[in-house]
Amino acid sequence: MAKFISKTDLLAWLEGLMKERTLAAPIKEEGVTRFAPVKKVADIVMDPGATDFSPKDWFFPPSETLFTVSKADGKTVITPRTMEKEAILFGLHPCDGLGVALMDLPFLAEPADASYAEKREKTTLVGLACRQSRPECFCTSLGSNPFDATYLDVLLIEAGGGYIVQSKTEKGQKLLASAKLTESNVETPAPPAVNTVPVEGLVAIAPHVFNDAFWTRLADRCIHCNMCAFVCPACYCFDIRDYVGKGGVVERVRSWESCQAAGFTKIAGGYTPRPTKAARLRQRFYHKFLYMPKQLGSIGCTGCGRCVRVCPVNIDIREIITTMQKIGAKVAVGAP
Amino acid sequence: MTMDLGQIIKEKAHELLASKKVECVLGYERATDGKTARPLFAYTPEETERFIFDETCVHGLAKFLLNWKDKSTAIVAKPCDVRSVNLLLQEKQLNRDKVFIMGVVCPGVAECSWDRVGPPQQRCNACPQHNPPVYDFLVGEPVPEKEPQNGVDPEVARIKAMTAAERRAFWNQQFDRCVRCYACRQACPGCYCTECFVDQVDPTWVGIRHSPADNHMWNTVRGFHLAGRCTQCGECQRVCPVNIPLMLVNDELTQEVGDKFAFQPGMDPSTLPPFATFKKDEHLGIG
Amino acid sequence: MPSARRSPFIPHTARLKESIDLTPDVKLFRMELEDEAVRKEFQYKPGQFAFVSAFGVGESPFGLASVAYQNDAVEVAVRRVGTVTAALHELEPGAIVGVRGPFGNYFPLEEYKGKNICIIGGGIGMAPLRPVIRTILDNRSNYGKLTVVIGSRSPADLVFASEYEGWGSQPDTRVELTVDRGDANWKGRVALIPAVVKEIHLSPENSVAIICGPPIMIRFVLVELKALGFAPHQIVTTLEAKMKCGLGKCARCNVGDKYVCQDGPVFSMDQIAGFLEQF
Repeated sequence: MAKFISKTDLLAWLEGLMKERTLAAPIKEEGVTRFAPVKKVADIVMDPGATDFSPKDWFFPPSETLFTVSKADGKTVITPRTMEKEAILFGLHPCDGLGVALMDLPFLAEPADASYAEKREKTTLVGLACRQSRPECFCTSLGSNPFDATYLDVLLIEAGGGYIVQSKTEKGQKLLASAKLTESNVETPAPPAVNTVPVEGLVAIAPHVFNDAFWTRLADRCIHCNMCAFVCPACYCFDIRDYVGKGGVVERVRSWESCQAAGFTKIAGGYTPRPTKAARLRQRFYHKFLYMPKQLGSIGCTGCGRCVRVCPVNIDIREIITTMQKIGAKVAVGAP
Repeated sequence: MTMDLGQIIKEKAHELLASKKVECVLGYERATDGKTARPLFAYTPEETERFIFDETCVHGLAKFLLNWKDKSTAIVAKPCDVRSVNLLLQEKQLNRDKVFIMGVVCPGVAECSWDRVGPPQQRCNACPQHNPPVYDFLVGEPVPEKEPQNGVDPEVARIKAMTAAERRAFWNQQFDRCVRCYACRQACPGCYCTECFVDQVDPTWVGIRHSPADNHMWNTVRGFHLAGRCTQCGECQRVCPVNIPLMLVNDELTQEVGDKFAFQPGMDPSTLPPFATFKKDEHLGIG
Repeated sequence: MPSARRSPFIPHTARLKESIDLTPDVKLFRMELEDEAVRKEFQYKPGQFAFVSAFGVGESPFGLASVAYQNDAVEVAVRRVGTVTAALHELEPGAIVGVRGPFGNYFPLEEYKGKNICIIGGGIGMAPLRPVIRTILDNRSNYGKLTVVIGSRSPADLVFASEYEGWGSQPDTRVELTVDRGDANWKGRVALIPAVVKEIHLSPENSVAIICGPPIMIRFVLVELKALGFAPHQIVTTLEAKMKCGLGKCARCNVGDKYVCQDGPVFSMDQIAGFLEQF
């Protein structure tokens, strides 16, 4: 027997939750599906296929005010931005759950990013299992799978005209208290098959591929926009700048930034340790495949395939992994 | 398509590399989805086997010529891409001696995105230029050109008919989605400043914040910098991850420049764009 | 349930006690942290850095130019090069700035006890070296010979010039000055720093060389030190990198698998040689 919720009851449950909490879910605007606060549940894209942008939008938004600085009675007062209501992030796929877990690594490492930590504490993750995989998906190669509930508070698996409901966390259980769940003997469907990519051993061979001409050739066609980084659930680089608003109130604002930008590492005076396009392109993959594993304990990729989909010149992370493995294997047997 | 354009490109590219006439041939190969195309830089005759040409070859390759300026490069260029090459020649960004133009007689290209080949592109339907205006080698048989469609583009007309407030509201809604990835700039053959105004910090012209004011600043100034220079290749709009109708900005300005100066950018490599010239006796009806 | 965590991005407020012109474009900022408890906690060692905010313009990282044990003012030397530094230069005493830190590692002076120390600083690069010199002079008997080579573009650009005489008058201590271009009053050496390093023939024996300055100066000083017989582990420098957080989070200063803000900024040349990515 499994816990079950009908499609109508699911929407009713979400609608009820919206009264007290912010509900963020996949919403489509002008053909682009992103996680955004929901105005009415009918707007939610119930089968998001993989949103164009990742759920990091919620925890680490494109732009956010970290704190404000104002003057009161001659004193300088710094006020951090805080989150008013608890929230539900709905409709993320299992790989996106892994994405959130990866985002936790830098942001929750001590000293934790307070604004991120607060959002994580106050947000419950309600995921949707994948009905289908897409050709660019490779989540199973990175330890997740289409029905993986590991990094979610609630997982819904579509079956028998509704959803099988799974929850192992306290947060999830608490949220489900208001859901109209029934006991059902509907069978759990088989998860969809997912393409695989040879990730195993990548961290070990990565240092040997660093100076290969492959990166220069790949950078030939890279246009060095920031899209791969912006849609990535695990890319977390940022910039911080000040804004002065009405009444002289200063806002310190954090915005997405990416290692692909030429100015990313340029210091005042003009020096940059990464002056070539190839060095910048390589940085993105080395950060994911070598530096993150060494510093934070995990490869910085979920296999969601968003970067593959969004790239206008087909820089394909799967092809890069495969090529790195091939080059690495040659180095390992001592070939030139 | 009656001729196999891909085969012609392969053979010519092979010859150019084998004879060392060029160091690199820039064209298209099949992407990893098995359906669409991606740019290919071939450095050896062997690599030319990978070249293709069909309706999925949407990318404008002219911008890639700026990867280097000292290397002789052959480029597979559709007529709109040739216009972009011309723009770069006009503006002294390229050395004509170093560029070998393999101009393709263009049958029009399709709406392509990852794993999907869609219907023919709108811009190709209206395009009056199917034969490359300049080339060193012609890929395909010349076709008679359609009569250029006179009059205002219906989308541009729609925008122009709006009140200022309506237009502001329309663009605010579009630009609000901008995530400032600058893919539009990166893909644009006309955007090649060593340091873009948006990246300058001293002084800071545009903030990093994804806010209506900053987004508007970026998107409108980007458009203005291309006034009279945009070759209408459509790359900015194609690469935009949030589907902002950027070509509408460009088209409106192209129309303005066309009306005022009877100029179409990139049609030949020698005529400078209006804003790169100055005539003392010129009266624009302003000031 | 309000989060009790303090955001590591929130700076401590500090009052600008004094801003002293060191050169035409460098000022020394003496700042006093407003909160007394914070003042006590704000302990740091030579080589560490902090972010200083000009609220409304932004914040930038600066090497700490003071020694924590000597006074209650936190000092940084600020060269006017960008928007934040220009805004800081405009501030009058009494102004409120933000201070976040200290961050990074430090020069391992404990390990250098008993050794001869050669300090080579170019321009504003003297700022993080000043607390090294002070610490050594305050504990003079713990160290061997101290040689300080200081260079700048012109005599007017010598940072901390008023302190050189005091340093040079200490036992077993010599200060060697040089400028790229002299002026009417300059009677001293006109030479590039690497040439001085060669000229004074620094001995590598039982020595450590600490270098800080522009990348080009460091590169050529390294050539000379190598020629004199200094091994990579005997040469220590601080790396300057773009930084926004100091917390290993923004990933800007990531070079190879190192974060300059956390693993550095102080590195020995043998460490740098082992970097995957060349700096």
